[in-house]
Amino acid sequence: MDHSSRVYEDVFGLLPSEENPTPLVRIGKLNPNPEFVLYAKLEWYNPFGSVKDRAAWSMIRQLEAAGKAGRGINLVEPTSGNTGLSFASMASARGYKLRAIVPGRIPQEKKTLLKIAGADLEVLNDDVCPAPGLGEGSINRAKSHAKASPKEYVLPNQYENEANVEAHYRTTGPEIWRQTEGRITHFFAALGTCGTVTGTSRFLKSKNPAIKVIAIVPSEGHDVPGLRNISQLHISKLFDSSVVDDIMEIDFKLAYRRALDLARQEGLLAGPSSGLIFEGAREVAARTKTGLGVMIFCDNIYKYVSSMLKHHPELAAEGFGYFPTT
Amino acid sequence: MSNYSHPEALVDIAWARANLANPQVKFVEIDVDTMSYDSGHIPGAVAFNWRTQLQNQINRDIISKDAFEKLAGSAGISSDDTVVLYGDNNNWFAAYGFWLFKLYGHEKLHLLNGGRVKWLNEPDAPLTKETPKITPVKYTISLQNKDFRALLHEVLKASGRHDRNLVDVRSVDEFTGKIIAPPNLPETAQRAGHIPGAKNIPWSTAVNPDGTFKSAGELHQIYVEEKGVDPKKASIAYCRIGERSSHTWFVLKYLLGLANVKNYDGSWTEYGNLIGAPIENPSGGSSGTK
Repeated sequence: MDHSSRVYEDVFGLLPSEENPTPLVRIGKLNPNPEFVLYAKLEWYNPFGSVKDRAAWSMIRQLEAAGKAGRGINLVEPTSGNTGLSFASMASARGYKLRAIVPGRIPQEKKTLLKIAGADLEVLNDDVCPAPGLGEGSINRAKSHAKASPKEYVLPNQYENEANVEAHYRTTGPEIWRQTEGRITHFFAALGTCGTVTGTSRFLKSKNPAIKVIAIVPSEGHDVPGLRNISQLHISKLFDSSVVDDIMEIDFKLAYRRALDLARQEGLLAGPSSGLIFEGAREVAARTKTGLGVMIFCDNIYKYVSSMLKHHPELAAEGFGYFPTT
Repeated sequence: MSNYSHPEALVDIAWARANLANPQVKFVEIDVDTMSYDSGHIPGAVAFNWRTQLQNQINRDIISKDAFEKLAGSAGISSDDTVVLYGDNNNWFAAYGFWLFKLYGHEKLHLLNGGRVKWLNEPDAPLTKETPKITPVKYTISLQNKDFRALLHEVLKASGRHDRNLVDVRSVDEFTGKIIAPPNLPETAQRAGHIPGAKNIPWSTAVNPDGTFKSAGELHQIYVEEKGVDPKKASIAYCRIGERSSHTWFVLKYLLGLANVKNYDGSWTEYGNLIGAPIENPSGGSSGTK
């Protein structure tokens, strides 16, 4: 495909690859160590707005090729976030649907976004007794539909599907390797399904085993959408500890603080998970003599206005006040 | 099954699968989340709604004898049938249903070990959205086991004394008065804390990650040796609205074989609203955070 003209037959042509990578942008003022170069990989340049396009497309292609999705068989997945948007948009464009299983408590704007993208929503009750350790009502509901109606629904299951890992092994890893001309020394990513960190790291370490992979996780009790901390990690089957050198826990409130900093000082309108990753990378850069780090910036800030307001209520103030960022 | 005192109270997945077509075996699903059944259930199973079908809709009480006869009969269950109960959240409300069936004297009764989640994750356990065709039958209650239920006066008498085991199966935060009820729940109380003298043994300590019950040895270790439940004494289990405590009632009575075990279904939503009832509240706040 010729990417130079940026003319495409359909939206799927925009999906990233080694020839059409999402951009790397160098961090300037906010980098504490000029000898440690830090690049942000802007995943909101994916056609449906986040890093999840890669995994979703990989899973969809695999299911369609096996005759398990399309032609009357829809997707069912527990998702209220970026994966839902990717699945819903892609399935709509391919002539079928996503049934998204979502908890009732998620903000209306997220439910609305999924519906705009063409998803059917199944909203779970929240006013039932929570069972500690059993909080996965939505995955069980999705499994039920797929098992009881296999001619109607298939469950891609982003937390267990190896196609999620494969997407990053095939695209994210090679893109970074080529974009940095093999000079990358540190790779920073957060943990959600763990597809990004596992797939990308496997590729990068196959090229240079000395590359340090640092997984950034939010502190306990966090509210950063899409991320898992250590105690939530068991939910994903895709985490491969053999390719992760270090797990850094960062105070989750800094996710929002650093997202503000990135917007105001670098012009990068990155979401809170990017803020969290940036804080981890910044700390590593400050204590490491030299290097070249690449951070995955999963999505931009537009979906997180209410989260930002919750953590930074001063943003709601009217007038011309300047809100200091440090 | 794992040296339980009454292993016949449980059936496993293989037994259930082998009896799917047995007309004398009736499967009943009772979920916390009452929408679960519609997304797929065991073939032939009926669903009971704990909010609308197992409780009196005017007074706070379990359904009456007449209402239970009507409910069971209209679900095609006769008093001679073998009933297998299962549900979500590791059988919380299935255990409540088990307790209710037992209160009304049903004999051939089993809980499906592991409940809905275990069935769902078994590759060759079928699931369907088809609702079964039911032929209503007559269900007659001839015996009631009223001593399986603890009422308020008995709980007040036991409060602060040490002649019976009071087992509070709620979470640690509920027990210590940090919160009155878990977030998002409509049924709550005016005060936080627990009944004086109660031991806190959260219901979840009884189950394995796959939803099945722990072995008799493990349960004995937890309840008797670590937490100090005295098998020689009578026991009362309670929680917030009586379903998690049914689960522990089942463990104490059928798996550990304690002689006199009652479920206090009034639980904290009754006790925590009483004027003047003695309360222990280690957190000190009068009304928790909710």
